[in-house]
Amino acid sequence: MQGLASYIIRRLLWAPVILLAVSLVTFGLGRFGPGDPIQILQGQYRDPEVRERIANELGYNDNFFVQYGRYMGNFVTGDLGTSLTYRGLPVADVIFPRLWVTFQYNLLALVLIFAIGLPAGIWSALRQGTWMDPFLISVFLFFASVPVLVSIPVMQWLFALKLGWLPSGGWEVREFFGIEIGVLDKRIILPLIILTLPGIAGVARYMRAQVLEVLDEDYVRTARAKGLAEFTVVSRHIARNALLPLATIMGFALVGLLGGSIFLETLLGIPGIGSYAFEAVFNRDYDSIMAIVLITSTAFVAANLVVDITYAFIDPRIRLGGGAGR
Amino acid sequence: MAYEAANGTLGAEDVTPRRSFLVLRRLARKRLAVVALVVIVIIYLAGIFAPLVAPYGFADTDFGNTFAGPSLEHPFGTDRLGRDMLSRVIWASQTTVIISAAAILTGGLALGVTLGLLAGYAGGRVDNLIMRVADAFFGLPEILMLLLITATVRPRVENFFDKFDGWPILGGLNEAGLPDYFLIFGVLSLFGWVGMARIVRSQVLSLRETDYVMAARAAGARTPRLLFHHLLPNVSNIVIVAITFSLGAIAGTEIALTWLGIGIQPPHPSFGTMIFDASGLTTLRAHPNLMLVPAVVVASLLFSFNLLGDALNDVMNPHRR
Amino acid sequence: METRRLIFVLGGIAVMLVVVVGGLALALSGGGGNGDGGGPGDTGDDTPAAESSPLPERVEGELRLFGPDPITLDPACASDAGSAEYIVEIFSGLVSFDRDLKIIPDLAEEIPEPTQNPDGTVTYTFNLRKDVKFHDGSRRVVAEDFKFSLERSLDPRTLSTVGIIYLDDIVGAREFAAGDADEVSGIEVMNANTLKITIDAPKAYFLAKLTYPTAYVVDRREVGDSTCFSDTQWTLRPNGTGPFKLEEWQVGQRIVLTANEGFHLDPKPSLAQVTYFLAGGSALIMYENDEIDLTGVGVNDIERIRDPSDPLNAEFRESPSLNTFYIGFNTQVPPFDDPVVRRAFGMAIDKKVLTEVVLKDLVVPANGVLPPGMPGFNEELEGIPFDPEGARALLEEAGGPSIVRDATLLDSGRGASVGPIIEAVVAMWEENLGVTVDVNQEEFGLFLRDLDEGSFQMFSLGWIADYVDPQDFLDIKFHSASGNNEMKYSNPQVDDLLERARVEQDEATRYELYQEAEEIIVQEAPWIPLYHGKTNALVKPYVQGYFLAPFVIPNLRYVSLSR
Repeated sequence: MQGLASYIIRRLLWAPVILLAVSLVTFGLGRFGPGDPIQILQGQYRDPEVRERIANELGYNDNFFVQYGRYMGNFVTGDLGTSLTYRGLPVADVIFPRLWVTFQYNLLALVLIFAIGLPAGIWSALRQGTWMDPFLISVFLFFASVPVLVSIPVMQWLFALKLGWLPSGGWEVREFFGIEIGVLDKRIILPLIILTLPGIAGVARYMRAQVLEVLDEDYVRTARAKGLAEFTVVSRHIARNALLPLATIMGFALVGLLGGSIFLETLLGIPGIGSYAFEAVFNRDYDSIMAIVLITSTAFVAANLVVDITYAFIDPRIRLGGGAGR
Repeated sequence: MAYEAANGTLGAEDVTPRRSFLVLRRLARKRLAVVALVVIVIIYLAGIFAPLVAPYGFADTDFGNTFAGPSLEHPFGTDRLGRDMLSRVIWASQTTVIISAAAILTGGLALGVTLGLLAGYAGGRVDNLIMRVADAFFGLPEILMLLLITATVRPRVENFFDKFDGWPILGGLNEAGLPDYFLIFGVLSLFGWVGMARIVRSQVLSLRETDYVMAARAAGARTPRLLFHHLLPNVSNIVIVAITFSLGAIAGTEIALTWLGIGIQPPHPSFGTMIFDASGLTTLRAHPNLMLVPAVVVASLLFSFNLLGDALNDVMNPHRR
Repeated sequence: METRRLIFVLGGIAVMLVVVVGGLALALSGGGGNGDGGGPGDTGDDTPAAESSPLPERVEGELRLFGPDPITLDPACASDAGSAEYIVEIFSGLVSFDRDLKIIPDLAEEIPEPTQNPDGTVTYTFNLRKDVKFHDGSRRVVAEDFKFSLERSLDPRTLSTVGIIYLDDIVGAREFAAGDADEVSGIEVMNANTLKITIDAPKAYFLAKLTYPTAYVVDRREVGDSTCFSDTQWTLRPNGTGPFKLEEWQVGQRIVLTANEGFHLDPKPSLAQVTYFLAGGSALIMYENDEIDLTGVGVNDIERIRDPSDPLNAEFRESPSLNTFYIGFNTQVPPFDDPVVRRAFGMAIDKKVLTEVVLKDLVVPANGVLPPGMPGFNEELEGIPFDPEGARALLEEAGGPSIVRDATLLDSGRGASVGPIIEAVVAMWEENLGVTVDVNQEEFGLFLRDLDEGSFQMFSLGWIADYVDPQDFLDIKFHSASGNNEMKYSNPQVDDLLERARVEQDEATRYELYQEAEEIIVQEAPWIPLYHGKTNALVKPYVQGYFLAPFVIPNLRYVSLSR
């Protein structure tokens, strides 16, 4: 267990290093890039004096590292800075409600992806050799092949306009015990379909490959030869070999989906973090960009850490720096 | 022991040509994959030979004939400026071909394979360092960073290349927007190498434990030889499959980037600009062909690449499937 | 043993599915009957369904519409129309525009006559209404509030980008804005109800400038030391004096306004509540589903809606807006320093095709700088005609197509596509002049930087009226000393006409001076005016009195619902 402890400590020490690097790069990109928020907000009324005054007041004229240190100092004390997109409002007040919105529907979509993808993959593997296996996988692959920028308007057209079943977009919340839940409205169905369908293929294919691999193992063949039910045999190994990596995928996928919500949120009018991040970049809303990047990477690093440590716990070889990949 | 090992390595190399033949034969048996390959080849050829194939120029406007439906003259109709949709789709395919080439050249794939090999084989500190850097990149919100980097770095790169305006070769390349291609796909590969590196690394880790590599090492084979002679060929299956999938993904990425406004603006149209111009529900309702024509073509291309990749995966990695 | 585990896992997945699908069905069962096809949620009728409707229940007298996501609701800071749209309803100033675009007294009792002072300055004495309270009813609006609010807009510490632009005519404003004075000497509080404002010269358009939000009154108790960039939380629930109160601002989601019952002008607001949806989406579909009461119409729908047999046709309204979209040239750098070349480029553009074919008559072609509806608009102005042969001849005269090799048009935008108008213009130049023009699209911030630095050959942009006066177009864009003259256009004769118009007291003579200047500008073509916008909208028949304003004016208090 000593090996494990030192492994965990090693990994824990890496986390702040990664975050520091990420924050420096992001901050630097903003400050050294051309164009600045003042230019954008001054619009067609440009007065160099006013501009200079604002730049001074917002601290843009300070040394880069002074600015960086100030932001990070505030950040660790919980002050995420001030938004420029919604001028003067604290970034935290703007982004946390939006993160919550995006998190809700993404979590739901992820659950659906797995709920459909896992059984589909297993079923497909057990039907290998028949027409059903390639057919099912091809159908899922097809959904994965349609760019969301095509599928969103097409789905809107189909469900909102042609069939009139669903609203074309928007986001309505209902309160439960003081928490605003947005996924209990029928507005959620369209984004869910659009997010879920393309995601199934990956999970189903992964699951199918896992099952086929298990079926190939000598002892499984032996077991099958001995007359044990196929289902029993397969299940044991899937449970052991496939589900843990799946948990990893699920964790990463959730963080990854946050990045992909830009299109969905903008086109369907969902007030989530994706559409805000998009605006923030174009407004050169430095504090908002920093906050979003840092929160996302922190969540990711944490997820990564938990997963790796779990692995290390299960598979001691990892601690030595080698062993099974993920 | 040593003798056997040498034998083993020989055996492994010996097998390669026969296997690739086998792969092709097995692939040919998959009808779906063959169809997919044909679709890909047609679209790519149309793109490469666009100047010969396209019936009209991509910018030939005809204000007297806008929003025309399909006809003999314009099989896919015309757009809001009266430009022939078929020609524009063909030119868009050319953009896709160029982008794909640029993406591969910028080395996202090479980077991923090399780093993956290195991490998996060297292990220890090297592995740790590479994988932690990978973590950092993987943890960044990719699209957001892409937006940020292109928004901030691109004008600088463009300014830099503008200096070459009028130069014999460089100037021409600049006019064609080449710096843009390289910048955007350079940035993409900055984030794209991680997935590939991880796959390759885990494959190498399992190969490392196999008898013949252990034996080769015991026989005194040196690291580069081991890496590129023994490990790479065995990783290549995965790499080929991954390339197939990413060629499709690149076409998809172009659309997303264009929509975000950070795509490339070549002089000729791309699927991204066509879909962007016609996206929006109201256009879809009023003039569905404007959206559906490029969408169907690009979706078939993506679908074909996915089918082909899937089939290749089945054929080349029978133990993984 | 192991079977049990798999069953457990698959069972878990099944339970998740049931929970998710069941939860959705439960949530939807109430609202399923909305579409006539019957929603997927029509099942489970006898479940005690959670109360649900597509949107929160409509309040009696509620108007619903899409709105732009405002950047700020601080009147001192707003520089964009999207923010001003809300500010003009929530706050108010001494004077405002009515629907005929006439200046009417708002918080002032009447429009004061300007009095000329011996030193050339001009004084306006405003008597304030005595019956006006802030929204929270706690306090009357007094002259002190105005002095505070106006000075706040100018105060360098407020960091407003627009304060000085709208209020710079006031004596002492520049000194104060530069931090060289403790107060604005031209703003004097005579007593609680009397405010004196002195400006540096007789300027007919000064009162029009006071209708802009920078001159609106704010509650100094809640505003405190907030600037445009910090402590703006008060704008989430501001205490204004306008016809509507801000009931709720869910950033990025919705804005809810409620009527200010005690509003001081007639008509008082009749709508009980106005809900703006800010997150975007498909407005037209929401309109057709009766989820919103009015919406703009885009180029893709216009043909269908213009068709008299379409049910929406009766609800369609259009009205001019005070703006002009144009192509501007850098008049200091060859080849476009030559008016002949600029004229040639103008002549090669068929504006009729742009407006009729490309934009489906959503806009009107522009001959001159001033948009129709603007006082001083010149009906007779012919502008530069479309004449491909004349254009080629002019270009030959100037040196032939080779002098405009590598011409680049700078466009602002996010780079996905330059849009049909620019594409069409470039195609026309190619076809009619034989000149290939590249388009360089930059995001707005960089675009403005390049305009500032003069590192461009031509650019495309629009100018939208801030107030109803030709000065806002001609003087601001074409006077050689104006900071907004990106073309670096300089013509002493034009400068002279514009300066005379500034102080001319006779309205007719003044407009003549502007028309004369406009004529010269159009012929020398620092701009190729392309088109003037229109507001194209669908309004539900039960919405009475909705007025398509040509630019942002307080509008909602005239609207009522008859259902």
